[in-house]
Amino acid sequence: MKSFKDYNPIAIFLYYALAVIPAMFCSNPVIMSISMVCAVLFRLVKDGPAACKKMWFFLIFPFAGMIVNPIFIHKGVTTLFFINNSPITLEAVMYGLTMGIMIFATIAWFTSFSSIMTTDKLLYIFGSVSPKIALILSMALRYIPLYGQQIKKIRQAQQVVGLYKEDNAIDKIRGGMRIFSVMVSWALENGIITADSMTARGYGVGRRSRFAIFSWKKQDFMLLAASMLLGGITILGIAAGHMGYEWYPQIAAPKAGLLTICTYIAYALLALIPSYLQLKEDSRWRSLQSEI
Amino acid sequence: MIRIKDPKLRKVLRIVVPFILIPLTVWLGVFVFNEKQYAWISIACVILALLLFYASFDKRIVGTRRLVIIAVMTALSVVGRSVFALIPMFKPITAIVVITAIWIGPESGFLVGSLSAVISNFQFGQGPWTPFQMFAWGMIGLLAGYLSKPLKKSRVALAVYGAFAGVAYSFIMDIWTVLWYGEGFSWELYLAALATAVPYTVGYAVSNVIFLLVLGRPFGEKLEMVKLKYGV
Repeated sequence: MKSFKDYNPIAIFLYYALAVIPAMFCSNPVIMSISMVCAVLFRLVKDGPAACKKMWFFLIFPFAGMIVNPIFIHKGVTTLFFINNSPITLEAVMYGLTMGIMIFATIAWFTSFSSIMTTDKLLYIFGSVSPKIALILSMALRYIPLYGQQIKKIRQAQQVVGLYKEDNAIDKIRGGMRIFSVMVSWALENGIITADSMTARGYGVGRRSRFAIFSWKKQDFMLLAASMLLGGITILGIAAGHMGYEWYPQIAAPKAGLLTICTYIAYALLALIPSYLQLKEDSRWRSLQSEI
Repeated sequence: MIRIKDPKLRKVLRIVVPFILIPLTVWLGVFVFNEKQYAWISIACVILALLLFYASFDKRIVGTRRLVIIAVMTALSVVGRSVFALIPMFKPITAIVVITAIWIGPESGFLVGSLSAVISNFQFGQGPWTPFQMFAWGMIGLLAGYLSKPLKKSRVALAVYGAFAGVAYSFIMDIWTVLWYGEGFSWELYLAALATAVPYTVGYAVSNVIFLLVLGRPFGEKLEMVKLKYGV
């Protein structure tokens, strides 16, 4: 058993792609609402309400959309009231709300994506495209803290020598430039030493292999298959053209045929997968703990 | 990693992928999903272009030293951001990308640009805009690499390119802003987005020019020295 974040990164990546894309690009309020609710639910289940505080701020988008869109767009037949002789229409309000929900849902998905996709996982994904790029990325990631420390050392050395002035912006920039310049020379020389050391240990002899701590297990394939299947149905439903709303001049929902309902259900199931896996794992963990 | 052993098949794939996959994505997006899927199509195309570039880079034999220098420059461009963190909009990323491209080569410029975008987004948040940023910075680097002769010679050209890069970055990212709004591409919206971004565009352009003028020579000399001394 594993919780959602422990699945194979490629499976997780594909899952997110399939979950976010329909919500982003189909102007259907039902799909978007499902997407928003499930994304928020997963955040809550995964990190608890305290960790999601930052996210609530983004609830401003649905409200902003509701207010801003009708101010600029006066299409639509159902006039609610007039401001400065220009009509505020129900259609424009609803469209703005839907777009706001879409933005909020996407942000909610991406916050959980960022917290799950740590650097090592992203490196793994890059590595499957190009091991060389993954190597460059991981070296660069290692250099960043190293250079941070080096900058501190250089800054201290400069201060001891007496080369510091923080009275005005130009001096500050000059100081920054000087430190940066010293840093660059050091970094380049250091890089060459690293390269030579790599060559001495046989880098570039033979084919480059890579080590990954992530493996493909049955569960990963199941997640992959489930998200492909449900995502595929959703995308097919959208492609068949039974999902689009007409907004102007009058809101017209698509006819609720079998395909439309299937698409809604498929998308809802797809969007609930991570919350389900997380809850299952949590309850299992609790029951195991209670048996101790 | 899936490795295709047959060299013929590999060659075919290398031609098929760009010439068939990208038009196919566009076709699928426009005709099959006949809703307004422009943002999705453009993301798919940008990702395909990036993949293509990375895959072709992976096949090439690149010296270890050059590989490490690319990593060093990428790290420097991200760290440079924190050195100047106190001053808003004053970021050396574009300048370092351009300098790398001029002195080490267009391909390295593309790599440093696109990889810096990924890494700095670990700090500032990944999102659907990441591929666009990668592409924008990568292209700025690639172009600078092709223009390396005039850019090396004159400081004026370097400054002009810096300003151009700041503006181009804004222009590319605003295409994304417009597509993201979901109504398809319209010039009015695009112009509006460009107009609201004017202070940022100017800020980027000015900081690029300053960085390129100040860092360009000394940085270039350092890279030149490393090239001479160690033969990158």
